[in-house]
Amino acid sequence: MPTLFLSKIFALVLFLMSFFVTAQITVSGKVNFKNKGVKDISVTLKDTYDGSTTDENGNFFFQTSEKGKQILVFSNPKFVEVEKPLLLENDAITINAELKEQISEIDAVVISAGSIEASDRKRATVLLTPIDIYTTAGANGQVSSALETLPGVQKIGETEGLFVRGGTGAETKFFMDGNLVNNFFGNSVPGIKAMDRLNTSLFKGNVFSSGGYSAMYGQALSSVLILESIDFPERNSVDIGISPIFLSGGFQNVNDEKTKSFGIAAAYSNLGLMTKLLKFNNTFTKAPESFGTNFNFRLKNKSGGILKYYGSFDTNRLGLQDESLEPETDFDNTSLKGKNTFHNISYRQKLGKYLVNLGSSYTFNNNMIDLSNTYQESEFNPNSIDITGNYFNAKGTLERKINKISAIRGGIELNQTRENTDVAISPVPYSFHDRITSVFAETDLGFSNHFSAKVGLRSEYSTAVNQWNLAPRLAFAYRISKNWMSSLAYGTFYQNPENQFFGTHDLNFQKAEHYVLQLQKSEEGRSFRVEAFYKNYRDLIKNKVENYRPVAISNNGDGFAKGIELFWRDKKSIKNIDYWISYSFLDSERNFQNYDQSLFPNFAAKHTLSLVAKKFVTDWKTGFNLSYSYASGRPYYNFLTDDNGNYYLNTQGKVKDFNALNFSLNYLPNLGKKDSKSFTVLVLSVNNILNQKNIYGYNFSSDGLRSKPILPSADTFIFIGAFISFGIDRTQDAIDNNL
Amino acid sequence: MKKLLFAMCLMTGIIAFSQTAYDKVMTEKIASIEKHQTADEFTALANDFKRIGDKEKTQWLPYYYAAFSTIQKGRMAMREGKVADLDPIAAEAQKSLDLAMDLNKDNAENLILQKMIHGLKMMVDPQARFMSEGMLAADALSKAEKIDAGNPRITLMKAEDTYFTPEQFGGSKARGLELFQKSLDQFKIYKTKSALDPNWGKGEAEYFLANKP
Repeated sequence: MPTLFLSKIFALVLFLMSFFVTAQITVSGKVNFKNKGVKDISVTLKDTYDGSTTDENGNFFFQTSEKGKQILVFSNPKFVEVEKPLLLENDAITINAELKEQISEIDAVVISAGSIEASDRKRATVLLTPIDIYTTAGANGQVSSALETLPGVQKIGETEGLFVRGGTGAETKFFMDGNLVNNFFGNSVPGIKAMDRLNTSLFKGNVFSSGGYSAMYGQALSSVLILESIDFPERNSVDIGISPIFLSGGFQNVNDEKTKSFGIAAAYSNLGLMTKLLKFNNTFTKAPESFGTNFNFRLKNKSGGILKYYGSFDTNRLGLQDESLEPETDFDNTSLKGKNTFHNISYRQKLGKYLVNLGSSYTFNNNMIDLSNTYQESEFNPNSIDITGNYFNAKGTLERKINKISAIRGGIELNQTRENTDVAISPVPYSFHDRITSVFAETDLGFSNHFSAKVGLRSEYSTAVNQWNLAPRLAFAYRISKNWMSSLAYGTFYQNPENQFFGTHDLNFQKAEHYVLQLQKSEEGRSFRVEAFYKNYRDLIKNKVENYRPVAISNNGDGFAKGIELFWRDKKSIKNIDYWISYSFLDSERNFQNYDQSLFPNFAAKHTLSLVAKKFVTDWKTGFNLSYSYASGRPYYNFLTDDNGNYYLNTQGKVKDFNALNFSLNYLPNLGKKDSKSFTVLVLSVNNILNQKNIYGYNFSSDGLRSKPILPSADTFIFIGAFISFGIDRTQDAIDNNL
Repeated sequence: MKKLLFAMCLMTGIIAFSQTAYDKVMTEKIASIEKHQTADEFTALANDFKRIGDKEKTQWLPYYYAAFSTIQKGRMAMREGKVADLDPIAAEAQKSLDLAMDLNKDNAENLILQKMIHGLKMMVDPQARFMSEGMLAADALSKAEKIDAGNPRITLMKAEDTYFTPEQFGGSKARGLELFQKSLDQFKIYKTKSALDPNWGKGEAEYFLANKP
């Protein structure tokens, strides 16, 4: 009997189990987002294997043998997870869900009005990659020259600086890891453009803003270039560069864990040979020559904080002899000796929810210019200008994330300037001191993946102008459709009058207001961007000649700049060719410095066009790069001074349109050789290959009666160079250690 | 006594039942990976594996297969030239793979998937990302090789890379095919740890060898 009883029980259990197994009920429903079905949503009966994924129309259905109170989870990375309780009995059940969008950094709309980002991050604002700077013909591997192919940037050949949207070169500031870089360009004399001081390979990316930039940056009326240095190099290497005009070498060491690295490099350049081979428009009595060395180290602590240091020292020399415009003078002689040292240290650390950024930079710069004239082979009128500057910058920023795409940040910045100018013929040296203290706060507000805003405020006090200013900044971004985005930026920007114009008169900050409206379309392999802007300048300085030098006497100057810019990049339409086109239209007038009336600035062109194209031919291991620049003729002015030192316009005119076609070629012979120990790039570049005679403006004699054109140093410039990088091979170490 | 016996029977029955349920569902889903043809199907499959992983909590294989299914979806997008989709897909796969790696550190199969994820990211912009993602991919594969040198899937990865890399960059179709053959030879002797452990890739090697140019 008991066995029978047991077997009955067993039978019952089996029956029940089979019932459980077979008695499946159906759960189905529809998942909506904004009343439209969404696919790929995972529907899961919590803590079971049971569930399904929604189809094209948002419908799902699955069977389960679970019973009782259960929870149904709807999940997908793009949406906020939803849980719905349900009671499973014997009947089929239908359950619908409405999802909310998950706010995420990847999908959020990015404010890009006024800014162009060059980095390898995949973001809406990224239009260029760091490699693009090297492969842009005519840029000679310099960030600043590559930027001249972007909308809003003027192609200025006679002076260093980035001239953006009707702004002067002094209105663009440069930052490395958040710190101000003074003397971003090498020392030079008027008419000869100096190169970028910082090597492009130091940086993993940059953000170039031509307007409406963040409250984190100040003292720039037009534009900022924010450079971000590499965290850790990929591997140990020894690099050598050889060219008829320079020789460079360096090495970089990094440990396996990528927590420590250091490097040292040196370079010597001399244009001597080129001045003999090529036709130069300048007569060099001493061909430009420079020597520079730099050192870097990086440390990472256990909690991920990174300390980065970069320091450099360099000297340069050149001498020029130009035919003089003055009577009873044959030549004007100019020679230059420059010395510069730059140190930049930055520290970044995460502390819980906070991100701390501390940084400091220091620059010492000395520019010694000797001037004289020659008449009938004897020198007279000797004079010299000796400018020594000490610049110190420190900045601390604290940032806290609020949710995935919102953040609040604030900080303080200190800039100290001491400049001494000694002019031999002037009885007293001129010295300038200033300390600018700035505080700033900014918040990124992400309302949804479609709408975000940035609200910022910056306030600065300068001892030189002895006043505080208050600069509000505001920007919005709105996604119109999947590929179309719009953004709008407004900001007030202040900048001190340039150091050399300070005199005995009380001065105030110069002010600019920016309004930028942008529409952007990005799709696979193609980007299109149109930007319209309006800039309103107030309180620009007005100059007068006092004690033989131009001095700012008031802030009564003003001006405006407005325009429209187009950018189109396409990697897709023409097979294996990557190209971009930028066009800028600018309308601007200024009454400032030595202008006695409102005039179209002489450093700006009304129409600017750039075309950059690249093609890499794999079979030949060679990249071919072409760029074409056009700028409509810039105006030129000759101002003279009256007996009281006031300026008046004597002559004006317009130079002819600027045209240049540049070509460069990169040949990588070791490309793809798996066992090759070195990586070589051979570069040939020809700037202005068609040998167009371009003119940047005119120089006038002191009475304004005679003039001669300001020309590029060389109409056509050819560069040949080899860059060899040896990855340090550890096999030798291994052998040595085992002997 | 009877009650105890009965209870024991019931318990073992349940345990046996649940074990087979895991094996059964995994066997079924793993078998269906090769049958899947569309991106949506791979998404659904990844969700299925994720669900199993979330329930089991100690098994690394469901998360491994979830990552693998997502990677397959990515490779499909890559073949169709939808490069813009690759970053989000890689991020999704990485999420699942991280879970698998937490449960089973230093496992060659996980590292092979890690290599594939870096490979997907690299394809977004090979020229710009070769130095970062390409290096990381190579690192992952060499780590996998140190752990499990005879794994045919490591050879398969190398074969693919060599086959699809242009000769100017050090690749070669012929050498790729040699590696596919080597991988196939390894498949013949390689023993998977269990019926559920990764065992994919043989078909692909055979496909390439059968379709010699």
